[in-house]
Amino acid sequence: MSSTIVPEAEAGGAAAVRRNFWRGVWRVMRRKPSRMAGAVILAVFAFMGIFGLMLYPDPLPRDTSALYASPSLRHPFGTDFEGTDVLALVVTGSRYVLLTAVVTAVITVVVGAGVGLFAGFRRGRWDTVLMRFTDMKLTIPGLPLLLVLSTVWKFTGAVEMGLVLGLLGWGGIARAVRSQTLSLRERGFIEAARGLGLSTTHIVGRELLPGMAPYIAMNALIAVTGAVYAQVGLFFLGVLPFESNNWGVMLNFAVFGGGALTTTAALPYLLAPLLAILLLTLGIVLVVDAMDEIFNPRLREE
Amino acid sequence: MAPEQGPPGVRIRGLTVVYRTAAGELPAVSGVDLDLAPGTITGVVGESGSGKSTLALSLLNAVQPPGRIAAGSVEIDGLGDVVALGGEGLRRARGRHVGYVFQAAQNSLNPLKTVGKQVLDLGRSHGVENPRGLLADARDLLGRMGLDGARVLDSYQHELSGGMRQRVGIMLALVLNARLVVLDEPTTALDMITQATILRIVREVHAERGLTTLVITHDLGVVAEVADRLAVMYGGRVAEQGPTREVLAGPRHPYTRGLLGAVPRLVGDIGEAHALPGRPPTLADIPADGCVFRGRCPLRMDVCETGRPPVVVSGSRSAACHALRDDDGHDDGDGPVVAAATGEEQA
Amino acid sequence: MINGTGITKTFRQRGGVLGAREVPALRGVDFAVPKGGAVSFIGESGCGKTTLGRIVAGLETCDSGEIVIDDVAMSSLSHRRRQPYFRRVQLIHQDPYSALNPTRTIHQALAAPLALRARQTGRPRSWADGRARELLGLVGLDPGYVLPRYPHQLSGGMRQRVVIARALTVDPEVLVADEAVSMIDVSLRLGILALLKDLRERLGVSVLFITHDVATARYIGTDGELYVIYRGQVVERGPVETVISAPVHPYTQALLSAIPVLHGLESPGDQRVVPVEASVGASGEYSDGCLFAPRCPFRTERCERERPALSRNGDMPQEHACFHPERRSVVAVPVSRR
Repeated sequence: MSSTIVPEAEAGGAAAVRRNFWRGVWRVMRRKPSRMAGAVILAVFAFMGIFGLMLYPDPLPRDTSALYASPSLRHPFGTDFEGTDVLALVVTGSRYVLLTAVVTAVITVVVGAGVGLFAGFRRGRWDTVLMRFTDMKLTIPGLPLLLVLSTVWKFTGAVEMGLVLGLLGWGGIARAVRSQTLSLRERGFIEAARGLGLSTTHIVGRELLPGMAPYIAMNALIAVTGAVYAQVGLFFLGVLPFESNNWGVMLNFAVFGGGALTTTAALPYLLAPLLAILLLTLGIVLVVDAMDEIFNPRLREE
Repeated sequence: MAPEQGPPGVRIRGLTVVYRTAAGELPAVSGVDLDLAPGTITGVVGESGSGKSTLALSLLNAVQPPGRIAAGSVEIDGLGDVVALGGEGLRRARGRHVGYVFQAAQNSLNPLKTVGKQVLDLGRSHGVENPRGLLADARDLLGRMGLDGARVLDSYQHELSGGMRQRVGIMLALVLNARLVVLDEPTTALDMITQATILRIVREVHAERGLTTLVITHDLGVVAEVADRLAVMYGGRVAEQGPTREVLAGPRHPYTRGLLGAVPRLVGDIGEAHALPGRPPTLADIPADGCVFRGRCPLRMDVCETGRPPVVVSGSRSAACHALRDDDGHDDGDGPVVAAATGEEQA
Repeated sequence: MINGTGITKTFRQRGGVLGAREVPALRGVDFAVPKGGAVSFIGESGCGKTTLGRIVAGLETCDSGEIVIDDVAMSSLSHRRRQPYFRRVQLIHQDPYSALNPTRTIHQALAAPLALRARQTGRPRSWADGRARELLGLVGLDPGYVLPRYPHQLSGGMRQRVVIARALTVDPEVLVADEAVSMIDVSLRLGILALLKDLRERLGVSVLFITHDVATARYIGTDGELYVIYRGQVVERGPVETVISAPVHPYTQALLSAIPVLHGLESPGDQRVVPVEASVGASGEYSDGCLFAPRCPFRTERCERERPALSRNGDMPQEHACFHPERRSVVAVPVSRR
């Protein structure tokens, strides 16, 4: 029998488990410097989005003597056509972009995971109906639909924008989560939970969901990049009217107003938001790498 | 190959295989000496973490990173020291000289190709000039094992039962005329009757083709049925070895004794059987010094904590245990011989 | 306690383009698990023993037949009303690695069903923690060590004990152990078997033991009953020791003959039965004949025409489904020790 067992400190409750979880997350992040770099990048962007607007006066000051100025100490990325500092524009414009992205990610994950879990767990008729619907949704090309939608509905705020992008984007996750659910529900521990008479809420929320967490977290992060590309693209194309400054609008102005593709003057104005998008994507990619280890206790604890 | 040649013998000396982990390099196999006499079936028995599968892989120098052979040699007749072999020579040796039937061979076939196609692939990668002849050999082998060879060659994996797949695995190991065959857990996940059939086939094919066979298993019954010699492994070391019947009839090492006593039997007093206390060591908690079995051993002494147990040889048997030094030699006339510890053993 | 009569189950297997193929898994099985008793289902994989266990545990339904738990027929109840009855039957999975959620600690794994049990029985929630420790102690584990760990930090044997402890959280009356030791290290198997036996004796829990390894069935209790199942039919049924030492059905004899002999310790039984390779039709059986006839070395013409039913034959203590029952000593005999 288990006589060789070493007694250990008393088992803690839920709090101890949670504390161990965060300690494990820290351990996982520290394993590779790239992950820490990714986390730092994301933290910087989060800071930008939340506090960016407070760092600069509103409206942003214009230096009319320096239109399309080259990068300098005063203006690290030069200025735009009105003489506004490009860096300030990138920082203040980040809120709209990031808020949209976060709203999109939340909706994608909640709807996608919800539909996928429900369909996969219930199977049968519910599954068929939901998956037909998902497939139909997946076949609708997103960008053209957005273009059409934008003619009838002005996406006035970041949240509305995120809502629309989110509702367009949950199909992939739903399918993936469903297939994961279908395979997980055959596992012994799910069957045991049913045999013990545990509630469906418990089984889905506590037994199934944690196993899919890395998957869902990864998809959420990837949805963020997708949302950033989509909205920046829309603004760049000039399809959407805009009220506030954001990265897509900057790109639009740099290319169509400043002629950044033909002259060099507006180049920093074009490159600055592109760099921001690139950095954000990089940060996400670097962090996604850690998801598997974070949510898998075996990889986390080792 | 040259059928007039006899079956090859194998001499494993001081074999140590380590795995790189977060806690440093840990030995899965440590200083193992083992001989496979030509033309015999040797059975290696061990539980999980005993290093038996790693030992089998070492025979092909096929230990995968993060594992590596850290010390020792594996001499195979007609092939030389496998540990020194590398690259192309090694690849050609696998299949040609050494046939390997994988653990869970039932699932190791390519599901998208017919068995015949896989035989041809195997032939091509070994430069067989006569693929027709190879297929004929495969058919004969399958026929010998009681299957309809032509039909099996035309089948996909899913069309075959577990026992049939296992036989296909054996065929694939033998079709290139390997004379040394390694069977890793040949009957796991098979039913009793199928297991008996497979074991009978292993015995018959071994005799007919003049092979040297190594059977790796966790099941004492399997070795008892097929093996001439038996080696019991524990924690990466050989605890005891000798002729199967002798070892089963009179086990010397306390682990062998315990293991035999823990096997459920069909007859006899069930009160006599006992599980071993504790649990088999994992790679991470194999003791570095002393005897690896001491934690579960009823004969534990102070010396077991520090000294690696000496290999006590008597006749064709040997066992590595401190407790044997004093009281061995009672059952045999010839006195115990304490083998000189090799360099690896002292390290 | 639990009885089954005429349990049948047919699986529909998708056979590619040609449509579904019907595979009978159980063909009218009767069984009874007495209170505190030990019953073993023996047979090869695919014989239907696992399906039967799952039906008993309420994880699957049968096509026809009746399961009766504590004198209540399950077919008379709605799906929802059956729940409390099937709670009394807990299944121990074969694979202790998949039976525990890898993302949850042992504490979490036990807390959920215990909280449910506390609610059902009107106990305070604080009862659950103490009970978890008590149960782990009962299955031979150290609660302090095990509770905060994740399944991957425990050995296979410890995991299987945790699975048993978890099954005990809801105070079951029957444990259905499906190949419960086949994935456990050899040196630890006996410990799990002894635990199941111990639970029978201490808690009065019945054990329904499902295995392909006849020898392990003895260790749940020599007072138990053995059901030998072949292709969904019980072919022999009787007291464990009788069926092992004096089997009368050729299939039972073949099964027992196939068990490896520890040469040196034992000598093989002198009437070992080796089944012949089946060669009848695609499905390998006679449509009306005995299911085992195609592989039976003793088959007669009658066996190919007529299917024997499970019945008792005069002086024999066991029931069997064979026209030509004959006692044969097939089991290995221990060599007398020096």
